[in-house]
Amino acid sequence: MSGAPLLSVENLSGGYGEIVVVNGFSLDLAGGEVACVTGRNGVGKSTLVRLVTGSLKPSSGRVVFRGRDLTAAPAHGRARQGMGYAPQEGVVFDNLTVAENLTLHHKDRSLERYGDLFTAFPRLSERLTQRAGTLSGGEKKILSFCRALAEDTVLVILDEPTEGVQPENIALMAEAIRRGKETGRAFLIVEQNLSLVEAVADAAYLLDHGECVYSTTERDGLRARLSERLQL
Amino acid sequence: MELVATYGLNFAYSTATLGLIVLGLAVVFGLLGVMNMAHGEFVMLGAYSALMVQQAGLPYVLAIPLALFVCGAFGWLIEWSVIRHLYRRPFDTFLATWGIAILMRKGVEVTFGREYQSIDQSLPGTVEFFGIDYPAYRLVLMALIVALFAGLFVWYQRSNTGARIKAMVENPELAAAVGIDTARLSRATFIAGVATAGLAGVLLAPLVRVEPYMGLDYLLNSFFILVVGGLGTLEGLLTGSGIIGGADVVISAIFDKTAGYLGVLTISILFLWLRPDGIFSRR
Repeated sequence: MSGAPLLSVENLSGGYGEIVVVNGFSLDLAGGEVACVTGRNGVGKSTLVRLVTGSLKPSSGRVVFRGRDLTAAPAHGRARQGMGYAPQEGVVFDNLTVAENLTLHHKDRSLERYGDLFTAFPRLSERLTQRAGTLSGGEKKILSFCRALAEDTVLVILDEPTEGVQPENIALMAEAIRRGKETGRAFLIVEQNLSLVEAVADAAYLLDHGECVYSTTERDGLRARLSERLQL
Repeated sequence: MELVATYGLNFAYSTATLGLIVLGLAVVFGLLGVMNMAHGEFVMLGAYSALMVQQAGLPYVLAIPLALFVCGAFGWLIEWSVIRHLYRRPFDTFLATWGIAILMRKGVEVTFGREYQSIDQSLPGTVEFFGIDYPAYRLVLMALIVALFAGLFVWYQRSNTGARIKAMVENPELAAAVGIDTARLSRATFIAGVATAGLAGVLLAPLVRVEPYMGLDYLLNSFFILVVGGLGTLEGLLTGSGIIGGADVVISAIFDKTAGYLGVLTISILFLWLRPDGIFSRR
């Protein structure tokens, strides 16, 4: 990595009340890089993402984004700095239309910023006036994915983006991530689908009991190495 | 025929005015989950704003911006100092706003006295309508309320701010994560809700007794309407207003006002027992 990282997570710890779920996690991510965090269920992956996005306050550590310490900044402040986020659950606003889900956080209601994504996921553009609550689980995930990838985000944080998504659409997601990388965007992806991790990751982190137990930037044989360590 | 027209207009008037009164509580309780027991006191503040304008010899219409300012300023202060710490804790908001309501009543009592005040109608006289002479102010009031609801409905359904409020109500964590300042939006929504209550106070002041304890009746009726109609939808608000207002008008006409209150109370209890989410519900 050359120059200052876009995102620095420094010794981040936090959880719920007295319970520490993430303990001392660190990561540097530059523009155009993809970091994937994987691990078994319940090891703290989603909590880590919530600490980075500001949905949870950390007990210690720092989150520095675009050179600014945002550790104490609220979630909406981080989003306005260019942090896009697609959570694992509660991914869309069911009572809003698909179009409203994509535009409510922008000053204008233009959907032009989603042009490439609509080409990749045409079913979404066909359902713009439909309430998001009527979409299937996989379609909701795609809607959330597209919202996070709006062109004004510089860091995209995805929590289990492929859960419930059809394989052909997972391939399209991987392609969209690669295109995003080419435009200089960084991605922090929590994912258990090792096919996607292998397809897009520049760096991979394995989390267990809230701590990073393995990290690598070596892409060759990444899936096999992660799979082996996940089974230990 | 005249009797039908009279009851029909009274029903429409009752539904419209109840809808206006409950609108602010529907916003604050239905959207934000704040059990605002001071809702009636904001209606009362609006009515006293009208009294102040009348006492100053100013045109009545100036009471509207005055009430919006007074209620908005009080609303901001209360939200900033108390309510923002209590979102998603409805019972705590119940207790806190109950205390605030007492303070507001006592404050007005100290300032204006306990006695009833009367507000002159700015639009006296009657208009022939459906073959009967009906008070002109009531007709204008109904037209204003219909226009207000229609405007509000279109704004809420079509504006980006309306979409953001719906998003915040449905999933506040996700709303914040996509860049919506939920704290600021909650504050603005709370202020809009109590300012609407103040507007109701101004518009109804010429038709009701104005005194420091006037808000209590409005508070009870407002909660009855939300119990019957359900929380979070305009359809529920209007249906609840129609049922509560209609029941009150019909039962009071057949028996007396006390029977009307009893009927409204019975309907509310039945709904709480058999259909606790009301007729329409966001859930």
